[in-house]
Amino acid sequence: MTAETQAAPRIASAPERIAWRALLGPSLRRLRPVILPMATAGAVLLIWQILVTALRIPAVILPPPVEIATELWRMLPVLLRHAVPTTLDSLMAFSLATALGIGLAAAITNSPLLRDTLYPNLVLFQLIPKVALAPLFVVWLGISSESRVAFATFVSFFPVVISAAVGFSSTEASTLRLCRSLTASGWQSFVMVRFPFALPAIFSGMKIAMTMAIIGVIIGEFISAKAGLGFYILYASSRMETGVIFAALFVLCVIGVTLFGAVALAEGLVRRSYGRR
Amino acid sequence: MSVVAPQPYVEVAEVSKIYRSGTADAVEAVSSVSFTVPRGQFVAILGPSGCGKSTLLMMLGGLEALTAGRITVDGMPMSGPRTSIGVMFQDSTLLPWKSALDNVLFPIRVLKRPLDAYRDGARALLERVGLHDFAHKKPHELSGGMRQRVAICRALVYDPELLLMDEPFSALDAITRDEMNELLLDLWQQYTKTALFVTHSIREAVFLADRVLVMTRRPATIVEDLTIPFARPRPLAIGETREFNEICGHLRECIEESHYRERGRRAAPAAVRPELVA
Repeated sequence: MTAETQAAPRIASAPERIAWRALLGPSLRRLRPVILPMATAGAVLLIWQILVTALRIPAVILPPPVEIATELWRMLPVLLRHAVPTTLDSLMAFSLATALGIGLAAAITNSPLLRDTLYPNLVLFQLIPKVALAPLFVVWLGISSESRVAFATFVSFFPVVISAAVGFSSTEASTLRLCRSLTASGWQSFVMVRFPFALPAIFSGMKIAMTMAIIGVIIGEFISAKAGLGFYILYASSRMETGVIFAALFVLCVIGVTLFGAVALAEGLVRRSYGRR
Repeated sequence: MSVVAPQPYVEVAEVSKIYRSGTADAVEAVSSVSFTVPRGQFVAILGPSGCGKSTLLMMLGGLEALTAGRITVDGMPMSGPRTSIGVMFQDSTLLPWKSALDNVLFPIRVLKRPLDAYRDGARALLERVGLHDFAHKKPHELSGGMRQRVAICRALVYDPELLLMDEPFSALDAITRDEMNELLLDLWQQYTKTALFVTHSIREAVFLADRVLVMTRRPATIVEDLTIPFARPRPLAIGETREFNEICGHLRECIEESHYRERGRRAAPAAVRPELVA
């Protein structure tokens, strides 16, 4: 009896709650991860605008967001033209870093000899502040686009090696044993089992590589370039056009977010089918 | 009885396995084990965990090297994995990104046989184990028992002659395990492969096998070779009969005896084993 009386309102309230959520909840809750960060960014911009105007900070030091927006609109064709080589070089470096990283990781995981000789050196190598080596690439490869791509590849391949190596060795021993019991060749177990098992890990390395590649290209452009957003930022700073610098930074952000987002999206798709649950 | 005994299908002769051989911490996993299995027999290898029974099975599958001795299957000495031998492991080892059907067909892909020729067979196997409606589900959408059923289908799809099973149902709950045992016997009746089934469950061994080999630790060797008299097909209910439980009792004694022997060798306190002092 008591159970019945207690249960009754609970049963009645459940659909009510569902109906309430259907009306208001889902749309709001689903948009929460979008609305919250956007509102925060908007608030920061607003405070920035108010402070700069109120404190009369000169536009050369810190232009207000509204002025940056006007600069962006005015300079957009120029900025977009300079965005092209930056984007292409970044993509090129990212692809090379991914291929090189996966290849090295595969070699390391398949050969104990290579692992013992290469891996400690790779880790040691990682400790060098690689940005400091950028001028060397100018010495070796000149001021061409190849030089910047090579430098950006060099900066960004390491995370792919590490995560891919972790991924390749994460395959369960029993699954590899199954392959052996089926007389699978080393290459077969690599392609059919090890590689797919490693895909989620490889993609987390690729996400880092994507951001590192952009950083590498920008540094390359700071040092030696006649085009590209890195070059244009330096150029604008030499003319004290702080608003243009910020506008270029904004374009750079959009490129970075887009490229990173594309890799993250691909990662999500891969995780859905290849991730372990 | 002048008929010449046919050559045994599986012959294990004086097989030993020593890990880290020659070093101070060498471990003898299998110690001079010998037995033969005629074609078509279902043999259970029963023993406590860590007694080396899985190692023995892996050596039979050509997946572990022998330290000493010789294993012959179908007249040919084992030198590595063979396609005439199917192995089932403790976990289902399904590939998480492949559907049940594609997992069943995985050996066909590895062996580079024509997929189309085996697809119907794979579907029939899945239907046989009651997973027809789950052919396109991924492993994470299946229960533990279902996953092992897919693994059974995968072991049978390329029609190996010898089936090696390494505690395949030990991770399942008791009820599912009974179901799986019944299903395995059912399939067994239909395909009659030679089978070696490693387990640490006495009841499972007695229910499934024609013959039970009891293996113990220290020395890691076989201490009992018992023929199970029950006719097939065997219903689950034979587990309630007196004879079944008597056999189980006998096997338990075998395991316990060797367990005490082992303890005795490790200088058991006199209070625990008074007869050792007497």
